[in-house]
Amino acid sequence: MEAIMNVNFIQELLLSMVRMATPILIVAIAELYSERAGLVNIGLDGMMAFGALAGFLTCYITNNPYLGILAGAICGISVNMVYAFCTITLGAEQIVYGMAINIFAPALASFIYKIYFGINSTLISNTLMSAAPIPFLSKIPVLGNVLFNHTPIVYLAYLLVPFTYVFFNKTKAGLNFKAVGEFPKAAESLGINVIRTKYLASVICGGLAGIGGAYLTTSYIGTYSDGVVSGRGFIALSAVIFGRWMPGGVLMAALLFGFTDALQLRMQVMNSGTPYQLLAMIPYLCTLFVLAFFGIKKAGPKANGRPFFKEER
Amino acid sequence: MTKKLMALLLTTIMVIPGLAGCGATGTKATTNSSAKTYKVAMICDSTISDGGWGAACYNAMVAAAKDNGFETQYTDGISSADFASSMRSYADLGFDLIFAPGNQYTDAVKEVAADYPDVDFALLNGTVETKNIASILPDAKQIGYMAGALAGLMTKTNSIGFIGGMELDTTKAKLACYEAAAKAVNPAVTVNSAYAGSFSDTAKGKEIAASMISINDVDVMFGDASAVDSGAREVLADYTDKYDIGQPSDLLALQKSDVVICSVVTDNATMLGLCMKDVMAGTFGNKTVYGDLSNGALSVGTFSSAVSDDVKAQYMAAIEKIKAGTFIQ
Amino acid sequence: MNTKNNLIKILVPIIAIVVSFLVGAILIACIGGNPIEAFSYLFKGAFGSASNISDTFVKATPLIFTGLAATFAYRCGVFNLGAEGQFVMGAVASIWISTTLTGIPDVLQLIISITGGAIAGGLWGVIPGILKITRGLNEMIVSIMLNYVAILFMGYLYSGPLREGSVPQTGSVTARLAKLFSQIKIPAGFIIALVIAAVIYYYLFYTSSGFKLRTVGLNRTAAEYNGFPVKKLILISFIVSGAIAGIGGSVELHGTQFRLMSGFGEGYGFDGVAIALIGQLNPVGTVLVAYLFAVLRKGATTMQVGTGLPTSVIDIIQALVIVFAVAGSAFVNLPKIRQVFTNLTGKSKKEGK
Repeated sequence: MEAIMNVNFIQELLLSMVRMATPILIVAIAELYSERAGLVNIGLDGMMAFGALAGFLTCYITNNPYLGILAGAICGISVNMVYAFCTITLGAEQIVYGMAINIFAPALASFIYKIYFGINSTLISNTLMSAAPIPFLSKIPVLGNVLFNHTPIVYLAYLLVPFTYVFFNKTKAGLNFKAVGEFPKAAESLGINVIRTKYLASVICGGLAGIGGAYLTTSYIGTYSDGVVSGRGFIALSAVIFGRWMPGGVLMAALLFGFTDALQLRMQVMNSGTPYQLLAMIPYLCTLFVLAFFGIKKAGPKANGRPFFKEER
Repeated sequence: MTKKLMALLLTTIMVIPGLAGCGATGTKATTNSSAKTYKVAMICDSTISDGGWGAACYNAMVAAAKDNGFETQYTDGISSADFASSMRSYADLGFDLIFAPGNQYTDAVKEVAADYPDVDFALLNGTVETKNIASILPDAKQIGYMAGALAGLMTKTNSIGFIGGMELDTTKAKLACYEAAAKAVNPAVTVNSAYAGSFSDTAKGKEIAASMISINDVDVMFGDASAVDSGAREVLADYTDKYDIGQPSDLLALQKSDVVICSVVTDNATMLGLCMKDVMAGTFGNKTVYGDLSNGALSVGTFSSAVSDDVKAQYMAAIEKIKAGTFIQ
Repeated sequence: MNTKNNLIKILVPIIAIVVSFLVGAILIACIGGNPIEAFSYLFKGAFGSASNISDTFVKATPLIFTGLAATFAYRCGVFNLGAEGQFVMGAVASIWISTTLTGIPDVLQLIISITGGAIAGGLWGVIPGILKITRGLNEMIVSIMLNYVAILFMGYLYSGPLREGSVPQTGSVTARLAKLFSQIKIPAGFIIALVIAAVIYYYLFYTSSGFKLRTVGLNRTAAEYNGFPVKKLILISFIVSGAIAGIGGSVELHGTQFRLMSGFGEGYGFDGVAIALIGQLNPVGTVLVAYLFAVLRKGATTMQVGTGLPTSVIDIIQALVIVFAVAGSAFVNLPKIRQVFTNLTGKSKKEGK
């Protein structure tokens, strides 16, 4: 137990927490934009997988991880456009489409990987994005390393939080955006173009989810394998709900999940006796308990999940 | 009336493919030439591009097939519910030998082998012997000893690590022997272990290695976790004096690496080759092909330059003892 | 009018399937394969021999169960995304019963075990239900979370307490569901699934209770106004839906897998939801679509073996079926399109995409 009190251990744990929370945070914010416009998108896992492949492939070919991130964003957007078209214009069931993406996108990613790389004895690896420590701040003991010695994508992820907060609460565009998710008919009558806002939300969601996936293969580990996403999309989804659809809440949720995941792994290393599955359940049980305990007074955007038809009055 | 229409439409849809299927069967039956080409197939639950177990087994099959003139095929990424039906597909298509690379396929192999007595099955890490099932059993304990001895000799911090994938009995045996061997050459050493719970989550490997290094100052690692080990190696590569021992392929022979000091090589190709010879001679079945140091199925891989001659000499002496069975009393 | 509606409802999935296969064929041709050959292998794998046909039934069985679970829940307006977890918990209960209650005749053990599976699945399904009714919680997330908890719990069991042997898996069950008709071995589980489908069909469309349930799904306000016990009905739908999935898990355990191991029940839950939707929320449709999915899954390996194409091609086709079928249904229900249909006289026109 003394090991836990060790500063080194805590620093390393927090570092790992920040690292593991980043993809969850990026994707959760993606989903936040989508749900604020009334679109529940559970296809995050699929978009992440495709973004991960796109990022990996691009980085491998061009040796530039930043291009990989860009590729991830573009591919995430294109996948999400299928979802967007079918749910916005056709009014189809959002949950099902999300799931269809979850089946389709990883299969496509796996397919492309196999076709391009064929069979290899070792996992192909590409160049990782290098860390960019912020000059002065990273020298602060303990916290400096944890917060300011990361790759730029991590900084981007955390900067998204205040940006999103300001957007949704302080800008007219953001308030209109939220209105689309709450009362689309009222919004429409005020002249807000609901359909266009929803498409915009899908673009943002797809882009960020793709970046989240690309982060995994260009910044976190340098290899792609079929299971690289391992359910992070769903954890991001629960982070959105856990964080009560607010950027700050989502940040807290992502950090909490990153923390429990990092802690769970370390506890296993320190004490191999505990069955790891029970520890791995912690993030999910946490979500459930908090949800059950606090209930959802704020059940999310009121028009969440429902298609919007101009004709219906 | 609508209901009848529905029923008609749907039965048509279900029948047409059946007819097409029958047609297809007919055209494919004429490809048997006079000299029999033997065919071997491998099914695998992981992908064969995992840089670990799947890749090693696939390469073993291809190498053995080349030596013996077999044709090869494979299906990877199969879920456990599909093991049996995949093997049946191969059996139906006239394959002679089916290679199942792991103990988890035991049930499926037994089930399918019973239905296809003319098809032979090779089960890696298995313990079944029947008329058409043979098991290939590399000695997990020796693997553990071999890795542990080297780790114990190479470590400067007296702290070494082990990553397991799933808690297979073979993995547990390897871990136990890893620890025993390391302590035998270096009594001050401590062993840290963790299970990733997966053979494919490279990110977990990275996290486990990172935490082992930071908490316990581990400087030599060994893994039985296939793709997860690659993640661990990535973390180790960030340091100049931390190393990894590979398994089951000879990693340094395949690509350059500053992290890998040596590998514990399992020559699945030779053992599978023996099975293939049995298939051709018609003597397959009712046997277990053992693999250990004495018959060359287990061997020491290429050393990297980080291993000093002195350590090498000590290690090879230990290997002789492991081979003779006198290493651990 | 009704005829036309029904006809459209059936045509949409069929067209979607055809289109998906076409796209798949194009994809195969793009990477240098021969689509005709590929598809003939696919069908051969699913229908080419007695054991293949039997295997297809085996694969269809769990899909029918999860599809029915989703159908039943959807009819009441609830999203049961927790079918995977309920499936697994049903199997967990069964394995526990099987390993604890030894020494009783097989038939009795099967009955107790499957009932246990139903209860476990129902309990696992009632959790999101209660949370929805009392706390207003969105059942989607709760059920997805419970899926993970269930799978991890199963993992804990087969690695630890219930483990047997050298690989993480439980011991096998002794009571096994037989295969009937020695020519084509139809698994008894498939028959059970069909029976349950029939029961649900009867309940939904021929009983007043089922009618009330469907009303809640179609228009909750109207149901409340009419004094239907909405909350009770929602709870019932969760429990029954979960129980069906639980029976599915139990049947899969006793009929096909015989042990719990890593990957048990993988993917059946979500596929079930898709199947329910493509099957137009009708138990008959569910059975047929589940069978189609089974055909795809079974034939995929043979196709891969015969042509060397990666199995992900079939996954893509399967996903495309979902995409096109659901898009098609939605498209057909668009107000504008409905207008087009009422303007046409007599025959319905196939709307192309």
